[in-house]
Amino acid sequence: MAETLRRVLNLGTSARSGVEDTAEAGPPLLLLGGPGSGKTALLFAAALEAAGEGRGPVLFLTRRPLQSLPRGTGAALDPLRLQKVRFQYPPSTHELLQLLCSAHEARGPAPSLLLLDGLEEYLVEDQGPQDAAYLAALLLDTAAHFSHQTGPGQGCGLIVALQTQEEGVSGDALQVSLLQRYFPAQCWLQAETPGPGQHRLRACLDPGGLGPRAEWCVAFRPNGEMTITPWPTQAGNLSLDKGSSSGGQP
Amino acid sequence: MAAALAGLTLPAVVEELLSEMAAAVQENARIPDEHLSLLKFIFGPSAIQALDLVDRQSITLISSPSGRRVYQVLGSSGKTYTCLASCHYCSCPAFAFSVLRKSDSLLCKHLLAVYLSQVTGTCRQLKVSDKQLTDILFAEKKQKA
Repeated sequence: MAETLRRVLNLGTSARSGVEDTAEAGPPLLLLGGPGSGKTALLFAAALEAAGEGRGPVLFLTRRPLQSLPRGTGAALDPLRLQKVRFQYPPSTHELLQLLCSAHEARGPAPSLLLLDGLEEYLVEDQGPQDAAYLAALLLDTAAHFSHQTGPGQGCGLIVALQTQEEGVSGDALQVSLLQRYFPAQCWLQAETPGPGQHRLRACLDPGGLGPRAEWCVAFRPNGEMTITPWPTQAGNLSLDKGSSSGGQP
Repeated sequence: MAAALAGLTLPAVVEELLSEMAAAVQENARIPDEHLSLLKFIFGPSAIQALDLVDRQSITLISSPSGRRVYQVLGSSGKTYTCLASCHYCSCPAFAFSVLRKSDSLLCKHLLAVYLSQVTGTCRQLKVSDKQLTDILFAEKKQKA
């Protein structure tokens, strides 16, 4: 399951599929989904996964401290791993930008994974596409700098979670498509409610030309444990279009 | 390109052209005419403007002891624009409009000039402190307000 999770999030460590990427840890990934679609839970799981790989600390940026540790961490909530996840809470876009702009000034080992939860909260304050582009570009530049610091064969991954509107297209469609251009890989999360008491998500990963699209079913058990299984591919393939069309794809 | 909306990386044909140009410049210290023609074909008027910027040594690579880098380009208007080295971003209005909003250009002339100056090796180099680099990156944001 750990391998599946890694694939879901396209962490792309150098060990993935046996291909050694010199300075890259896989393309930057944009995680999209409506409210309550499990983005934070997946980001957190990715953080723990990367922390367990022993390559470097994980930097988790979010506006507000997580009220509770996200559901689904279950057995993976190893205190040693948790110690390697550094949380920072830039309260505004200004602080986030400052953090990213000064990332090279920080001492100590470079992170192996940079995570940002709630990008939409930082974009709200901005005036237009150029600001959103600059934030996206800075995130990429910061991760690239960390990659450069860690040296060949390692690199720093980047996963950014963005909350999208539930259905249909709204004013942020332009913004989403702009951000999609900076993030080659994307993963869409859609909540499915198959029945009472069940909370299930469909995760659709598009690695952006580096591999085929793939889907997973992310389920949360009542005890909070998260399980990930490949999405059954029968007639389910037709509804793939529904998932991607809500993504504003060209 | 498979997708209509290009991602912000260079298409393979441009990458190839740039590396061919780099190889040719290594040998002859100038860009061959056929490369220039192809450049103009792909980029239109931006190509000439970018070449002009390169000729005038308008591109500076700023780096700090941390290894982080950023480019600055002195535009024809006298304004300095900041371009990120690792992904496509330029602070000029043309980038915001033609590249981001309308997607009818791959690069603005400043970004193209950055790539060309890498090929021809004619970038000015400026070393600054880590703190100064932070300020340069951060000031970028204020410029737009």
